[in-house]
Amino acid sequence: MKAFSNFHPLVLFFYFISVLLLTMFTLHPVLLFFSLLGAVLFASMLETPRAVLVSLGFYVPMFLLIAVTNPLFSHNGVTPLFFMNDNPVTLEAILYGAAAAGMVISVMYWCRCYNTVVTSDKFLYLFGKLIPKLSLILSMALRFVPLFKAQVKKISRIQKTMGLYSSESKVDRLRGGFRVFSAIVTWSLENAVDTAASMRARGYGLPGRSNYSIYRFTPRDGAALGILAVLLGGSLWGMKTKVLEFSYYPRVAALSLTPVVLAGYAVVSALMFLPFLIEVKENLVWNYFRSKI
Amino acid sequence: MELFSIKDLSFTYPDEAQKVLNSVNLTVSEGEFMVVCGPSGCGKTTLLRLLKRELSPHGKREGEIRYLGTLQEELDDRVSAGEIGFVMQNPENQVVTDKVWHELAFGLENLGLPNGEIRRRVGEMASFFGINRWFDRKTSELSGGQKQLLNLASVMVMQPRVLILDEPTSQLDPVGAAEFITTLHKLNRDLGLTILLVEHRLEEVFAIADKAVVMDRGRVLFNDTPRTVGGLLRDCPEKGRMLLGMPSAVRIFSGLNATGACPLTVKEGRLFLKAHASNQACRRIEDGELKPLGKELPAVQTKELWFRYERNLPDVLKGLYLTVEQGEIFAVLGENGSGKSTMLRAISGQNAAYRGKVELFGKKLQSYKGTELYRHNVAFLPQDPQSVFLKPTVKQDFQEICSAMGYEKQEAEGVVARLAEQLEISALLDRHPYDLSGGEQQRAALCKVLLLRPRLLLLDEPTKGIDAYAKNTLEQILKELQQQGITTIMVTHDVEFAASCADRCAMLFHGEIMDAERPREFFSTNTFYTTAASRISRTLYENTVTVEDVVELCSRNGGLQ
Amino acid sequence: MKKDLLALGFVLLIVAVLLSGTKFQTVEEYYLTHIDDITPESETVTVSIECSNILKNWDDLDPSLQSEEFVPSDGVILPPTEYVLRPGDTVFDILERAVRYNKIQMEYQGADQNIYKSVYIQGIHYLYEFSCGPLSGWMYRVNGEFPLYGCSRYELKDGDVIEWVYTCDLGRDVGNDWKEEAGS
Repeated sequence: MKAFSNFHPLVLFFYFISVLLLTMFTLHPVLLFFSLLGAVLFASMLETPRAVLVSLGFYVPMFLLIAVTNPLFSHNGVTPLFFMNDNPVTLEAILYGAAAAGMVISVMYWCRCYNTVVTSDKFLYLFGKLIPKLSLILSMALRFVPLFKAQVKKISRIQKTMGLYSSESKVDRLRGGFRVFSAIVTWSLENAVDTAASMRARGYGLPGRSNYSIYRFTPRDGAALGILAVLLGGSLWGMKTKVLEFSYYPRVAALSLTPVVLAGYAVVSALMFLPFLIEVKENLVWNYFRSKI
Repeated sequence: MELFSIKDLSFTYPDEAQKVLNSVNLTVSEGEFMVVCGPSGCGKTTLLRLLKRELSPHGKREGEIRYLGTLQEELDDRVSAGEIGFVMQNPENQVVTDKVWHELAFGLENLGLPNGEIRRRVGEMASFFGINRWFDRKTSELSGGQKQLLNLASVMVMQPRVLILDEPTSQLDPVGAAEFITTLHKLNRDLGLTILLVEHRLEEVFAIADKAVVMDRGRVLFNDTPRTVGGLLRDCPEKGRMLLGMPSAVRIFSGLNATGACPLTVKEGRLFLKAHASNQACRRIEDGELKPLGKELPAVQTKELWFRYERNLPDVLKGLYLTVEQGEIFAVLGENGSGKSTMLRAISGQNAAYRGKVELFGKKLQSYKGTELYRHNVAFLPQDPQSVFLKPTVKQDFQEICSAMGYEKQEAEGVVARLAEQLEISALLDRHPYDLSGGEQQRAALCKVLLLRPRLLLLDEPTKGIDAYAKNTLEQILKELQQQGITTIMVTHDVEFAASCADRCAMLFHGEIMDAERPREFFSTNTFYTTAASRISRTLYENTVTVEDVVELCSRNGGLQ
Repeated sequence: MKKDLLALGFVLLIVAVLLSGTKFQTVEEYYLTHIDDITPESETVTVSIECSNILKNWDDLDPSLQSEEFVPSDGVILPPTEYVLRPGDTVFDILERAVRYNKIQMEYQGADQNIYKSVYIQGIHYLYEFSCGPLSGWMYRVNGEFPLYGCSRYELKDGDVIEWVYTCDLGRDVGNDWKEEAGS
């Protein structure tokens, strides 16, 4: 189930940019918590929960590493825990480090989701409108790269079965690699001749080329974009007016829970959990319909 | 209505004296399915390319080509691009973009159609060709057959009036090829689309075509219905050469010098034999004795071979047992994905099996050190012979091997000259490997690996992409090599080739080798996985599997009545 | 692969920390310092730390610092106090001893970490550079003059009077008309 991915690329792109911006420009623990949780939950819908668990094995140590590094360089804070080389290691600095680590990891998880959701053709669609020629070239390049890789692999393997370029000496291998490479270049050119012919045969070069895309901007996309804009605006307003600000130095601020702040949290969490909620809703609807059959 | 009319068309490539096309006259009518055949170099590809203005080769052209009455030079660009569709030989190189949907839309984008219309046409074509299942995929993930279907669909989406195809199935496996031909037939039958097809695998195509054009040396020899052409070929002075690649029924008809209507399909062939060769006094052809087996150490012996590519992928080889005696030509047949190529790689040391053992000439594979295995022992000819060459000329590629093998300069020249002579490539030594035709490329590649002086030759799909004539040459070469004591193992889809070339055949299925048999035994007991000649003659004779078998047995029984 | 690299990074970090002769002290140990007793023979200097400028620019001050805890109501963090001058003492040495003795928080950038080859005082008593506007930071005066170079390169002599002052306007509000920030 990838309900969220079905939105128009513009919506998706706008969403990821908003979330990344918000995440990168805040160190507010509540905001970061929402962001991280939203990203992890969404990732576990996109991939298998197992894959996300496995990835935690990478991100948790990374989190610790960043969190521990900060106090080595920052000595501000009213609560020194101990002194290292005559410099205080403070509780505040550790908490600040933890927040920064949370930020980095949220960003990484969001990027992970971005990679699955905004595929190369969606990206090309968005930016190809600006430069149509470039988008075609990119598309052709994207076709060619896997082909090229496969050919390199094939040729090197075949050369090995002829007992060539497989000796232990580095020079020999390097030379072999170079020869394979030059052969591949010829092969690519040869390939390109056919591809060019195939393009010509299908009318490439005729004036008035249009640019097709499989994406359609539906009213649903419009509504989504509107909602996103409102949520982003709200969050930015909250950050700008310091409603959603938080300071670590010299003393960790208390979390204020005034109605305005709570409203701010609500807006940010709505934004961060949106994709996850859409996926969950779609799953429920699906199960509901299935049970009806 | 005449779609194409070609008058006195001649063509000469630059720097060449001989005309590739010599006053060709041809008309193609609307709705016709025309198949163009003939031996390599007869000019059929050039003819086809000249019909599509955008692909016309450079050179000197005489005569005229009209499309719907308009001279080709005066055709509107959009008409020329859109109404005349062209599909080329190599499925890979024709793909332009990275996504299937984009590829389908590419031609329509070029024509400048609005988004809505592109969407409708792309959707329609995708569902007609059954592409909707892989509509969102990357083009690089498709199989060869899928790629070629995609190429066809992305031409069809432009709604051409005529479709020109240049050996579209030569790079495909039999299943993909059959599917492709079926699709073409459907397009012709259901949409009335005009089709002009060059093919060398004619077994299925010949019967569904309306017209067969046979070309030789730049001229049109015959241009008539396939049945008539089949009859005419019987009396052709060079019929041995011209008949190669023709359907088995036609070849049997011609081989027996029969009269009457020429059969085209297996069914017709069987009825024809029933009616005209009812004498069954002799029903078997006895196989000659194989060299006594088991006296020498086997060339290859594998025991309990297990292999998989990744730890969490399924096994490809599942306890494979295989014994190939020295001096044999051994063919392994099997469907796509049955593990044929994997098996060859395991034998040639490219894939290491995780269980079981491989012995070559009685010695364990692992105990061949360094490059010892690949010099004087095993040579491997890959499916795609192009990947064997790295140098700008064939000769330089050969020289590299010679110096790697440590031949003296004079010795090297002698060896190369002798092998080139044997493989009929002496004239090609100074050419760029990529400029050779499929068959030539393959022989040159074979020559390169033979310079390694192997005792065991491994061939992966040796008949892929080569025409019937080149196949014939290859068979002779393999038999000559056999005389020199070289053992050959090939994996192939090509039942006809295996039937006439191999000493023993075996089927690879489910990661295991089923029992190996002599070809006559093997193919006459198979029902589907067998040659057309066997299917034609099986009710009449017991073990005839090639056209030659059928003709011989029929003659022994007194010929046709 | 990624995990291995990360683990390696971790281990390297720990090893680097340990090998660089790291000294760990508890908070009590650190502040348990002795100050030399002043005898009639000893040479002395006087040092003071004040931030009264902030009081005049209260609105520019970081909100999290807007409290009497961090900015005393009279702006005095350390009233003028006399300390024994050891031979070769620089302004920085005296400052470090003073804040340590008085348990005043202080953070600095080591002389090896900047281009001036001198210690740079980033913050005292949680008041950092830029804490009170973009032109704010710590500066020092010796006998009423703003030296032109870093505090760890200024060697003191008997009777010098050192004043650490917090500027909110690149020194102009504390009587230094030069463009440079002389506290560094």
